[in-house]
Amino acid sequence: MSTRWYPIYQRGNPQLRIFLPNFWMKLIRPAEEQPKNVATFSVSMQMTKYDIKNYLEKIYKLPVVDVRTRIEMGKTKRDQTFGYVTKEDDVKIAYVTLLKTEEFTFPDLFSKKEEQKKAEEKSLDDSKQGFKRFLDRNKKRPGTPGWYSI
Amino acid sequence: MSSALKILNVAKCVKTLCSSVSNKFLSSSLLNRMQSQQQQNVLTALSALNTRTFHSTSPRQDLMEFFDDPKNWSENEVKVGRAWKLEELRIKSNKELHQLWYILLKERNMLLTMEHECNDKMELFPSPERLDKVKISMGNLETVVRERNKAYHLLETGITGERPTRMVHNPLGLRHLYRSCEHVLPPHMNVKWIKSRDIGFGGRAVRKFLLLYREKLYNIKRKAKNRSRNEVMMLLRRNPNIDVQVLRSKYPNVDIDKLLRDDKTRGHFVPKVGV
Repeated sequence: MSTRWYPIYQRGNPQLRIFLPNFWMKLIRPAEEQPKNVATFSVSMQMTKYDIKNYLEKIYKLPVVDVRTRIEMGKTKRDQTFGYVTKEDDVKIAYVTLLKTEEFTFPDLFSKKEEQKKAEEKSLDDSKQGFKRFLDRNKKRPGTPGWYSI
Repeated sequence: MSSALKILNVAKCVKTLCSSVSNKFLSSSLLNRMQSQQQQNVLTALSALNTRTFHSTSPRQDLMEFFDDPKNWSENEVKVGRAWKLEELRIKSNKELHQLWYILLKERNMLLTMEHECNDKMELFPSPERLDKVKISMGNLETVVRERNKAYHLLETGITGERPTRMVHNPLGLRHLYRSCEHVLPPHMNVKWIKSRDIGFGGRAVRKFLLLYREKLYNIKRKAKNRSRNEVMMLLRRNPNIDVQVLRSKYPNVDIDKLLRDDKTRGHFVPKVGV
C-alpha cells in the first residue's frame, strides 16, 4: 500500500488493517446493458473482490451485495511505420451489485455542452460577420481606424 | 495506525517530561508565557478546524460521489486551489491526516472517473492539473506519516522501521537495490526460487554484456567530466577576472589549477604588457 507494501494474506483474526489505502476505483459506463442496481467499475489491478466490497462499504458507505471481477486484456496495436507491436495495460473490471432498491443509471455529462458549443459557434460567426462588414466598408479607404465612421 | 497512536502517547510523555523539566529550570515568567502561547496555539487550531471544512460540497452517500459537481460538467475550466504543502500537513494531528487521506482518495477517484468518461466521449477533461495536485498532496501526506513513523521507531527501537533493503546481484550480474518483502515460504523451502538462483552470470555472453555495459557507463561519466571541464575552460577564457574560488566550489571535480596553466584558457585578446 501507500508507504508500505501489500501484506501477504494470513489466516485468522484479527486481519491486518490498511490505514492509508492507495487503491483507485473508476466508475465507468457499462459496455452492455446492466440491471439498474449494478455498477461497473475499473479498479486497481491488485484489488480483490473482498477489497472492492470493503472499499465501497467502508469509504463510500454503499450497500454492496455482490462483486464480480474480470481482467480485460489491453489492446495490441502494430505501429504503422516501423511495425513494432505495442500493448495497452490490462484493466480489472468489477461489476458491483447493490441492493435491489438502489437504482443507478450512468448520467449524461455532456448534454449541456452541445448547447454551449452551438452558442460559442454562433458568437464566433457573428464576430466573423462583423469583421467582414468592417472590411467591406473600408474597401475604398484602406487603413482607416474603426472609430472613424459609424 | 497502532504506531501512530503510540506516537501520540510518546508525544504526551514528552510533553509531561518537558513540563516537569521546565518547572525545575525555567523561570516562572517564561513558563507562563509558554503556557499562554500553547493555549493560543490550541485555540487557533480549534478555530481553524471549525471554520475550515475539508469538503466544499455536502457529502452524498451514493454513487454520484464518483462524479464531479453537476455545475462543472459542462465547464471548460474548473478553478481549484493548490496542493497541500508539507509544512501545512506537519501541524495536523494523525486523525486529521487520516481523514484527509480519504478525502483525497475520493477526489482522485472522482477525477479519474471524469477523465475516463471525457476520454470515452472525445471531450477535453477540464483542468487536468487537479489530478497532479491530488497526487502531490497524497505524496506529501505520506511523507509526513513516514516522518512520524520514523521518529517513533528511532525513539523506541533505535532503527528507522522502514522497509529493509539490500544490494543484490540479478541474473545478469547487475547490482540493484532489493526491497525485502514478506514471503509465504521460507527461503530454504522455496524450491522455485532456489532453482531460479542456479542461473549464474559467469557465462561468456554475460561477461561480454557486462563489459559493454560498464563501458557505456564509463563513457557517460567521461563525457560529463569533459563537459564540465570545457565549461570551466570557456568561463575562464571569456571572463579573465572571474572568481576562481566560486568556480572551484561549483565545479569540484575539475582541476582548475591545471586549466589555468593551459593555453586554452587564455582569451582572444592582446595581453596588456607593462601596466
